[in-house]
Amino acid sequence: MRFLLRLAVLLIGILLINPVFAQTTATISGRLTDATTGETLIGATVEALGLGKGNISNEYGFYSFSLAEGADSVTLRFSYLGYESKMQRIFPKGNIKLDIGLQPAGNVMKEVVIRSNPLEEKMKSTEMSVSTISAREVKALPALFGETDVIKILQLKPGITPGAEGTTGLFVRGGNSDQNLIVLDEAIVYNANHLFGFFSTFNSDAVKDLKVYKGGFPSQYGGRLSSVIDVRMKDGNNQDFTGSGGLGLISSRLTLEGPIQKNKSSFIVSGRRTYADLITSGINRANEGKADYNPIPDYYFYDLNTKVNFTLSEKDRLYLSGYFGRDVFNFKNETFDFRFDWGNATGTARWNHVFNPKLFANTTFTYSDYRYRINNELQGFSFNLGSEITDVNTKIDFYYQPTNKHTIRFGASGTYHMFTVARLKAGSSDGRISFESGQDFTGMEYGAYFSDDWALTSRLKVNYGARVSAWQNAPAFYAGFEPRAAANYTVNNKWSVKASYARMNQYLHLLASSGLSLPTDIWYPSTEGVKPEISDQIALGTSYLINNKVLITWEGWYKWLQNQVDFKDGAELFGNNDLENELAIGRGFAFSPLELEIEKKDGRLTGWIGYTLAWVRRGEFADINNGDYFAPRFDTRHNLSVVAMYELSKRWQLTATYVYTSGYISWLPVGRFTLNDVPGAPIQTVVPIYGDRNTFRYPAYMRADLGVVFKFKTKRLENDLTLSVYNATDRRNPYFIYLEPEFQTVQQGDSAIDIPTAIKAKQVSLFPILPSLTWNFKF
Amino acid sequence: MVSLLKKIFPFSLLLLVACNLTKDVDVVLPEYDRQPVVECYLEPGKPFRMLLSESYSFFDPFNLDSNFLQNTLLDSAVVTISYDGKTETLANQLSFEFSPLKIFNYTGTAVVPATTGMEYTLHIILPNGKEINAQAVMLPKTMIDSVKVEFSADADTLARVLTYINDDTTQDNYYRRMLNYSSLDSTAAQDFIVNDRISQTSLIAFGTGYDLKEGDTIINTIFHISKPYYDYIESVQLAVAGNANPFAQPSPIKSNVSGSGNPVGVFTCLVYDRDTTVVHK
Repeated sequence: MRFLLRLAVLLIGILLINPVFAQTTATISGRLTDATTGETLIGATVEALGLGKGNISNEYGFYSFSLAEGADSVTLRFSYLGYESKMQRIFPKGNIKLDIGLQPAGNVMKEVVIRSNPLEEKMKSTEMSVSTISAREVKALPALFGETDVIKILQLKPGITPGAEGTTGLFVRGGNSDQNLIVLDEAIVYNANHLFGFFSTFNSDAVKDLKVYKGGFPSQYGGRLSSVIDVRMKDGNNQDFTGSGGLGLISSRLTLEGPIQKNKSSFIVSGRRTYADLITSGINRANEGKADYNPIPDYYFYDLNTKVNFTLSEKDRLYLSGYFGRDVFNFKNETFDFRFDWGNATGTARWNHVFNPKLFANTTFTYSDYRYRINNELQGFSFNLGSEITDVNTKIDFYYQPTNKHTIRFGASGTYHMFTVARLKAGSSDGRISFESGQDFTGMEYGAYFSDDWALTSRLKVNYGARVSAWQNAPAFYAGFEPRAAANYTVNNKWSVKASYARMNQYLHLLASSGLSLPTDIWYPSTEGVKPEISDQIALGTSYLINNKVLITWEGWYKWLQNQVDFKDGAELFGNNDLENELAIGRGFAFSPLELEIEKKDGRLTGWIGYTLAWVRRGEFADINNGDYFAPRFDTRHNLSVVAMYELSKRWQLTATYVYTSGYISWLPVGRFTLNDVPGAPIQTVVPIYGDRNTFRYPAYMRADLGVVFKFKTKRLENDLTLSVYNATDRRNPYFIYLEPEFQTVQQGDSAIDIPTAIKAKQVSLFPILPSLTWNFKF
Repeated sequence: MVSLLKKIFPFSLLLLVACNLTKDVDVVLPEYDRQPVVECYLEPGKPFRMLLSESYSFFDPFNLDSNFLQNTLLDSAVVTISYDGKTETLANQLSFEFSPLKIFNYTGTAVVPATTGMEYTLHIILPNGKEINAQAVMLPKTMIDSVKVEFSADADTLARVLTYINDDTTQDNYYRRMLNYSSLDSTAAQDFIVNDRISQTSLIAFGTGYDLKEGDTIINTIFHISKPYYDYIESVQLAVAGNANPFAQPSPIKSNVSGSGNPVGVFTCLVYDRDTTVVHK
């Protein structure tokens, strides 16, 4: 609380002191946008030519910097990768407001927004361990079933280990999959998956920008240990009414956007739905009543993104955005009438206010909900199981630029969490039989932060700050102090050296019953028995720029993890009112001496090469593996990814990706015994005995994907046809290995007996070569 | 229901790709030392008997020749079971029970008494001098309250069977429910364990789907089992599932036998109620 008071005092001081600065310097501020759509540009550059002064726009397109007042004119250059630069002459005096629209560089597909920090800016920034993904990359790169997915592109970045084949799982720098803070327009997305993880919830048509922090976390972020994935939706075109969409193998998409009041307000609505169920339900109807017919389960998912924004005044802007998505699985036969649905809903209301040219504030209210429901009806009996987490959050963030040497951010947030944990109700309709279990929790999570990005000298920049977080789930109360620091020393215009440290606290824990992400995984709060997870990460790195075109970045990092949560062996997740008794608490660590990225963002050939050499361990769990350390499933030693996009012409683009990953870790049985069992049960000849956890490594994973994009115009539409070839070499990668006994059937009198003869290891692969064609259009 | 989910998830994957993508691979497993395996179920009215065998390394050949039993069974151990001030010594003697087949290599002369609450102590001295110990208690039998046959309203030739038991709600109880069609020699159509920790009523029902026809015979068995035996069966099921299902988390075998012999297995009393019903309208 004292920290919040100090923040308030600081804010008042800033508001009072600011006019003093304004008397001696000219302050140039405004917003940078795409001139054709009005979309704000994040990370665009403004610089005063010849003066070495300038800044980049923040996540709302807002920029601010100061110049000494004078009679001579100064030329400002506004630039952004993929856009034509714009020059503007000014006379630096007083406060100058300049809202600038940049024209996209002549692409046939003008909806393409190339979003990337210029490599030089990236090299000189105090930010490290950061990756960005552009909409252009997402749309161009080959994808499984042609379904472009921003999260799957993220998996190609160094330091990020993908989940199981084809899924959107992310294991960032040795962290668990629940240790990623995934936010969509600042609302938390708790389960960013469709179809058991094969597709993410992010419709690439609606996504403007994605940035992932793997370390060196800015102070404004907290609540997860291993990464921050900040996804921004498009604002909507405030110039013209436009539409876009696509037809793919799995789903179809449609996006409509346009001005509500030109230049002042706009909307965007984007929807997506799969259609396999339309076919399966037709087949089921055609075969209804046939004795030997087993109905095919119906499955579909859909999601809807909406956003409106209003320019209320020169200083005020309001954004309202929402997401709603559901997966639905239905199955009905003579025994079951089964429905399983799950999904997220988020809502965000944001108010941007420019207090003065140096002070910008954003006030946000968010709502986030993730739930799953399983319902099964039988004649006279029912079964219902579900879990849910709901957040209501409010926060305020200030962005303050007192001088060109300091960029200060501070703010505070409060989140009210509501949990329904594995609520089960089952029984007979007459009430004679009833089963019930489950727990409900509420919790308050608080955060307040401060950071200063300080240019100590022309070569040395530091970013220092701290976050104070707290968690209350009566009677449990925890508070954490999270120092953050980063430094960049620019040796020369081509070379910089960086370092960072960050502590993170995580008050929510995902209880996952297997190494794979399932919709039924449960979010569980910190309690007296389950302490907050804590991580400390240090990173060192260096960046070298070759010919202003290729940036080579090396980083080495070490991460310590405390209070890691796992299930005891044989834990019962459902039908259990004492889940904490099933949990084991331990520690972990991960480190990499070599995380390398070579990026090229401009020219006909663009892309990157990423390589990570890393070790990951978990241990000191009292009830797991005798407390010994073990490698978790995603401890892949080597990760190599190569991503290339080549503009053959204005119409044709070739793309390719290659991935090599050391095999995942698995827990295979080491012994077996024969189970005699009780009367009425047959002898089981092979019961596996598991020894130490996770001692077997799968064969390496390798995959090459190819893509061709052909762009063309018809009378009313701008089109592209994208041919994707997933797993172009048709390699059989391991998805799952199991040990299977082989049996020989021996006739014994009237009955046949299966006698085991040998055991073989079988490898199951998921996807062979999979070509797909997607048609995208825009009008 | 959870097991249903685990079946549905892989099924949904199979819907995506209907290709045969399985192949044999070579796998090198860590070294494994064979362990003694104890299975001793004390069934009231039956003689004291036990199967003492040895586990194998997972890839060891089966060698189903005349030496198979000799290589699998662990003979020449000294086996005693103490109860009620008495000690029963089990002789190393091979015996079989059929329908379904059961093998025992240690058998006593006395019959297991049906006294509820009786405590039993197992002590084994292996040929190498190492020891195995375990305890078990005879639980009261939980009776099948009623068995109800219901024909489907949609297709009146198909029926389901509901089996009811009355549960003692004053304590935690664990059950193994087994359902066999026609005879006990058949593979059980249902075989699972449940507990009553979340039951709000004393009545518990077990049901079948509407897949029975007029004249079908079903055999219901309700075992009232101890917590250690419940944990043992659960761990066996998880171990089997973990090797066959990528969504299942494997489990080490949770044995209630211990000692310097480093055994796996279970020593428990076996009380059950069994009912045979022929489906009629």
